[in-house]
Amino acid sequence: MGEILVVVEHRQGEVREISKEMLFKAGEICRNASHELVAVVLADNAADNIVPEVAKMAERVLVFQDDRFNNFDSHLYREVLARLVRERNPFLTLMGHTSWGMDLAPALSIKSGYPLATDCVDIVIEDGRPSVVRQIYSGKLFSRVSFRESTGYLITVRPGAFLVPEEQPEVEGKTELHELYPDMAETGKEFLEFVDTGAGDVDITQADLLVSVGRGVGEEENIADVQELADVMGGTLSCSRPVVDKNWLPKYHQVGTSGKSVKPKVYFALGISGAFQHVAGIAGAGTVIAVNKDPKAPIFRVADYGVVADLFNVVSALKEKL
Amino acid sequence: MDFELSREQKDVRQAAREFALGELQDIAKDCDVNETFPRELITKAGELGFLGAFIDEEYGGAGFGFLEHAIILEEFWKIDPGLGQQLCSVSFGSEEFLLFGSEEQKLKFLPPIVEGKTMMGFAITEPDAGSDTLSASTHAVLEGDEYRINGSKVMIGNGTVGDFLLVFCLTDPDEKKKSKRHSILAVETDRAGYEADPMHGKMGLRASDTSSVFFSDVRVPKENLVGERGNGFSQLMAFFDRSRAYVSAHGVGLAQGALDLAVKHVKNRVQFGRKIGSFQATQFKVADMATKVEMARTMTHKACTLLDQGKGNTDITAMAKMFSGRTAVEVVDEALQLHGGYGYFNEQDVERFYRAAKVLEIYEGAKEIEKMIIGRNVIGRL
Amino acid sequence: MNIVVCVKRVPMTQEVDLIIDEGKKGVREDELAYVINDWDNYAIEEAVLLQEKFGGTVTAVTIGDEEDEEVLRRALAMGADKSVRVDPGDRELDGFVVSGILAKVIRDLEFDLVLTGVQADDDNLGMVGIMLAEKLEVGHASVVVGVEPDGDSARVKVELEGGMDEVSNLRLPALLTVQTGINEPRYVSIMGIRKARKKELNVVGVEELGLSEEELTPMTRIEEVFLPPETDGAEMIEGDSSAVAEQILRIIREKGVGI
Repeated sequence: MGEILVVVEHRQGEVREISKEMLFKAGEICRNASHELVAVVLADNAADNIVPEVAKMAERVLVFQDDRFNNFDSHLYREVLARLVRERNPFLTLMGHTSWGMDLAPALSIKSGYPLATDCVDIVIEDGRPSVVRQIYSGKLFSRVSFRESTGYLITVRPGAFLVPEEQPEVEGKTELHELYPDMAETGKEFLEFVDTGAGDVDITQADLLVSVGRGVGEEENIADVQELADVMGGTLSCSRPVVDKNWLPKYHQVGTSGKSVKPKVYFALGISGAFQHVAGIAGAGTVIAVNKDPKAPIFRVADYGVVADLFNVVSALKEKL
Repeated sequence: MDFELSREQKDVRQAAREFALGELQDIAKDCDVNETFPRELITKAGELGFLGAFIDEEYGGAGFGFLEHAIILEEFWKIDPGLGQQLCSVSFGSEEFLLFGSEEQKLKFLPPIVEGKTMMGFAITEPDAGSDTLSASTHAVLEGDEYRINGSKVMIGNGTVGDFLLVFCLTDPDEKKKSKRHSILAVETDRAGYEADPMHGKMGLRASDTSSVFFSDVRVPKENLVGERGNGFSQLMAFFDRSRAYVSAHGVGLAQGALDLAVKHVKNRVQFGRKIGSFQATQFKVADMATKVEMARTMTHKACTLLDQGKGNTDITAMAKMFSGRTAVEVVDEALQLHGGYGYFNEQDVERFYRAAKVLEIYEGAKEIEKMIIGRNVIGRL
Repeated sequence: MNIVVCVKRVPMTQEVDLIIDEGKKGVREDELAYVINDWDNYAIEEAVLLQEKFGGTVTAVTIGDEEDEEVLRRALAMGADKSVRVDPGDRELDGFVVSGILAKVIRDLEFDLVLTGVQADDDNLGMVGIMLAEKLEVGHASVVVGVEPDGDSARVKVELEGGMDEVSNLRLPALLTVQTGINEPRYVSIMGIRKARKKELNVVGVEELGLSEEELTPMTRIEEVFLPPETDGAEMIEGDSSAVAEQILRIIREKGVGI
């Protein structure tokens, strides 16, 4: 019997949803293969808040408590985890494929010598080895990936790949407090502050109707056109990443992984291709209506209704009727 | 014989392609509908070196050849003929300075053109002088240290928005030989007596400025004479021998752009239960279109390369110009046909390309003129 | 400040049909157009911006064959000073092997900063940069949207999920993986292409680097490539703009949004 280790990601005292998703999936794997589900938490006294949450989903929770963990530092995490995995030899170690996870996992792979597969959307165990599914070519294709033989494997998990069901049996995990290792290497990172880029004049998470623009809007001047439509429809203007990258709209309008998750009754997507990072932000939307010039745009796979057309023609036609 | 573009030429092509996709694509339709273009586009293109790439380094140009200029123009015209036309027009005529201008003139007029700070035009055509250039009657009289110009020109690129024009003037009406009666003068458009009226209602290339211009006692210093007095016509022909080579790229770009639109359409459009691109008839059409485009491109590249090697060939240049114009018209016609009814609406880009194409058989050397040149040279004087 | 930028040439995937090849382990490459990896373009721009501000040299590095030199020439045209291409020959590459090769080349260069893109458009791994950082034994940060060097460290802004950025000081030398939107990449200029002609582009074969077999052995392997499972997809609305608009308004009202 081996161990599946889940590295808990938390921020400002709260357990991130990805951690729960990993614990859920790991729990499934453990039940099928008789492994033990172990979570590891590195935190300062925020552990008091975090550990009980985690203990509901893992059989064992290893806790490293230290002020140095007041904020995530991949260099410190790498130091601790490399030694931890050497000690415990977990069969599988899971981390989130998040900004922090991406900063940690590859470094841990090199340090520990364990092979790594990233951004995985499915994990199966075959013949005692994990095999994963991950997307390539920006989501256009999927790949099944195998690992070279090793005593342990590292996987980063895509957020949203393993949604935790509403009803989940709770576990009563045992907490183990661990001493921080001596001679930890110095880290060159010094945390300064968080900046809320999601705050602004408009809160797109509260809207019933979102009129959303993507790269297809063409140029900055055209956004006013769509804003007009949003106004006359009584909806709120939002957008996908490329519009913010070009500084055409402030970040608080952005829907997606690095922006906001929205749950409007209707999400009206104009000229948005449907990259998964964007689509992840509308998973909770009631109905998605998409307009795009390209009939092959990925958005049409996830939308409820689609129109292949120049978005400006649709915008003018709508304005006329209102 | 190496038919491949050099690595550098491929990089030039890629750079022009990205600029066209980033700066032309999204504004093309509006500019066509409104008969306008953003002045900043010219400046941006100038700052990146896309204007007058054939101009020598000492005058601020990239010092490339007409081939590189043609490569750039093809990429622009592929995305939008109208804006491609405007971007080409701003340096149109600058060869006159390179071939016949004085050092002072080159240093004065060329660098700002290359940078996109000024735009020029070449005023040749008149109401009664189109293909018959020698009938041009706008005249310039030398009075003391100045030339006084009177007359009018029509369908002149950048007549309204340009900073100066090269004007093909009658200066020596009494010369025995008709071909020794004209000269070329640089005229700044802010001179007193100069007026311009944009000509509205063009079928295509509506984003570019085409104007009627009027000279009422416009005075320019005699230093504004480019080349030799009385040599205007032969200087003009020398200019055409070069410009027609790269203007051929306009047709190649337009045809390729139309072909790209058609291919995209036929790969997606379903009729009778299949993608129409799977019908043999469609495939045959596309084969013809692609072949014509490739031929037009090859001729254009050959014409430009010969010029760059100092072996310019008037026949080859005339063939390239004539063939690429014809190719553009034929290919865009079939491209619109393949789009079916939707192609008739300006919601589709092909509609704009269709309207733009015809002028390629008319301007900068009507196809009949090209045929005259070629026929006469092949058969010889009889 | 001396900067190394890692760049990759990838197939263009927008509006393109990707066809799985016969072996089912990759895609058919014959019809594909290739471009600079979008994230790497931002990385090059960031490197050049920093160089314009602080001086120093920018070196671009790629792993690939002769055709891949296109992205090095692009970097040079945008302002990089030198470039290196490592030819991998027939070696099978994965993120681990790539990071090892890059580490060997970069270790010998003098650098304050190494920039890579967050991920590549084709394999979307998001691991090479940080593996490289670990092998170079330098500090690192991933998904960087801002970098301001200040003496022997840099103020680094990392984009987190859910509309939050994290600002930290990171000691140099360091490696950063750069996120799109960190800047606005300049167009390649004709002048830049001309200047690039005279800049260094060195080529070295992977076998010349002296890496161990272990370092050149991939950790993972693609066993199969397949199309995403067919979902029902959207119900398409047909007709002219007016009819489409009617339908859309009807649907929106049906779903409980009063217009």
